[in-house]
Amino acid sequence: MTGLEAIAAHNGWAIAAVGVSIVFSGLTMLSIVISQLYKVLDFWERRDEFFQRMKGRGAVEDVPRITVSPDMKETVRQYRMLADRLGKPFSLPRLLDLARKCGLVNPHSTINRLLKQEIIVPDGEGYYHWHQSISS
Amino acid sequence: MENMFLEFFSNTGYAMADYRHVVMILIGVTFIYLGIAKHYEPLLLVPIGFGILIGNVPVFKGLGLGIYESNSVLHYLYLGVTSGVYPPLIFLGIGAMTDFSTMLARPLLMLLGAAAQMGIFLTFLGALALGFAPNEAASIGIIGGADGPTAIFLTAKLAPELIGPIAVAAYSYMALVPVIQPPIMRLLTSRKERLIRMEEPRVVGKREKMIFPIIGFLLTCFLAPAALPLLGLLFFGNLLKEAVVTERLAVAARTSIIDSVTILLGMTVGASTQADVFLTSQSVGIFVLGALSFGVATASGLIFAKIINLFVRTKINPLLGAAGVSAVPDSARVVQMVGQEEDPTNFLLMQAMAPNVSGVIGSAIGAGILWSFMS
Repeated sequence: MTGLEAIAAHNGWAIAAVGVSIVFSGLTMLSIVISQLYKVLDFWERRDEFFQRMKGRGAVEDVPRITVSPDMKETVRQYRMLADRLGKPFSLPRLLDLARKCGLVNPHSTINRLLKQEIIVPDGEGYYHWHQSISS
Repeated sequence: MENMFLEFFSNTGYAMADYRHVVMILIGVTFIYLGIAKHYEPLLLVPIGFGILIGNVPVFKGLGLGIYESNSVLHYLYLGVTSGVYPPLIFLGIGAMTDFSTMLARPLLMLLGAAAQMGIFLTFLGALALGFAPNEAASIGIIGGADGPTAIFLTAKLAPELIGPIAVAAYSYMALVPVIQPPIMRLLTSRKERLIRMEEPRVVGKREKMIFPIIGFLLTCFLAPAALPLLGLLFFGNLLKEAVVTERLAVAARTSIIDSVTILLGMTVGASTQADVFLTSQSVGIFVLGALSFGVATASGLIFAKIINLFVRTKINPLLGAAGVSAVPDSARVVQMVGQEEDPTNFLLMQAMAPNVSGVIGSAIGAGILWSFMS
C-alpha cells in the first residue's frame, strides 16, 4: 500500500499532527518557564530587601491612631481638601493663605489646634503632612 | 599444493568481492576524503568511512568475523548501537560541552527549534506514502531531526535492520549541511531580511544556567518519557558543566567519553553497511527521503521565523530558523556564513546557537514521541 491511502491506513496524519503539537507545546512550555526563571532568581536574590519592605508596610499599621473629635471632623475635612491641593508635603503658610482666601473662619487658631492635636505633623524639613492614621 | 593455493585464493576477499563491495569501498573512501580533505564533520565521517571499509571486506560466513555474526568482535562493539547505549553517552558529552546561555537569554528563539522538527513528521508521512512500514517510516523521519545519535537511537529501537542506511544518511547530510542549507535559505528570505541585526543577548547568570538543566529535564521528560535516555543524559552532562564543582566529570564527559563512543559508534555503524544489506532500493529511498527531510526542516524553521516576525516588534533574522535543525554547531555556522555574505559585520552565530540547541532538545522529544507511538 502506498500514497495517501497508506498514510491514512497507518494513522499517519494523526501521529504527525499530535507529534508536532507535543514538540511545540514542550518547547513552548520550556521557553515560558525559562523566560520567567531569571525574574524568580532575581526576586530570590533580593528577598531580604523585599521582606524588609513588607515589614515597613506592617509598621505603618502599627502607627498609633489618633481620634478626631466630632466637632473637628468637618474642619479636618475642609483643611484636608485644601492641603491636598498643595501636594505632599505642604507648606503651612501656604495652607494658611489658602484657608484665608477660601474664607474659612479663624484659620490661625484652627491650624494651631490641628498642630496641637498632631493631626498635622512636621516632617522635620520645614514642611508638614497629615498624620498617617488619617486616610487620604 | 596448487589446489591449496587455489583454495586459499578462493577464500580471499579478492575472489569473493563483487561490484557491490567495490561500490561500498568507494563510498567509504569518499567519506574519508570528505572528512580529511574537505573537513566535513571529520570526527564522524572518518570513523564511518573506515568502518565502511571494514564492513565491506568480504569474509567467510560462520568464521565469526562479520558484524552480523553473533560471536564476532565487531558484533560485540556493535551491541552499543543496537542496544541504544552509545547515543545517550554521546548526548552526555554534548550536554557537557553545550552552553545554553543564548537560549536562556532569548527563549523565543527556542520555537524555531520546534518548527524545524516539522521535517521529522513530514518525512514520516512521506516514508509511509512510499510504502515503508510505520516503524521504518518513523526511523526514516527522524533523519529530519539532523541528529545522528537520535536517529541511531530510535532506529535501534524501531527498525534495527535499517540502522546502517539511516545512520549513514543522517551523518552524510549533517556533514553536507553547508551544501544543502544555503540555497534554501537564500530562496526563502529576502536580502532585507538577511540583513536584520539581532540585539545583543542579555548576560545570563551562573545560577540560572545551573538550574536550567534540572528544570529542562523535568519539564521535557515528564512530557515525553520515552526521550528519557537521551534528554536525561543531555541535561545531566550540562549540569556537570554548569555546576563547576563537577568540572572533572564534565571534562571526562566532553573529551574521553564522547571521543571513545564516537569512535566506536562511527566505526561500527560504518561496518554495518555491508554491501548485501546496504545496497538495496530501500536504502535509495531512505537517502532521497533524508535529503528531503533536511530541506523541509530548514524551510520550516525559516518560514516560522518569518511568521514570528509578523507578531513581534523587534524583528528576528529569519536565517536563524535554519539553525533549528539540530546539527550542532554546523547549521549555526551556516547561518553566520550566509548572514555575513550580505553584511560582513553582522554576527549571527551566537544567536543561532539558541534554535540550534533547542533543536537538539526538540528532535529528542520527537524521537521519544515516535517511539512511544510505535511501541
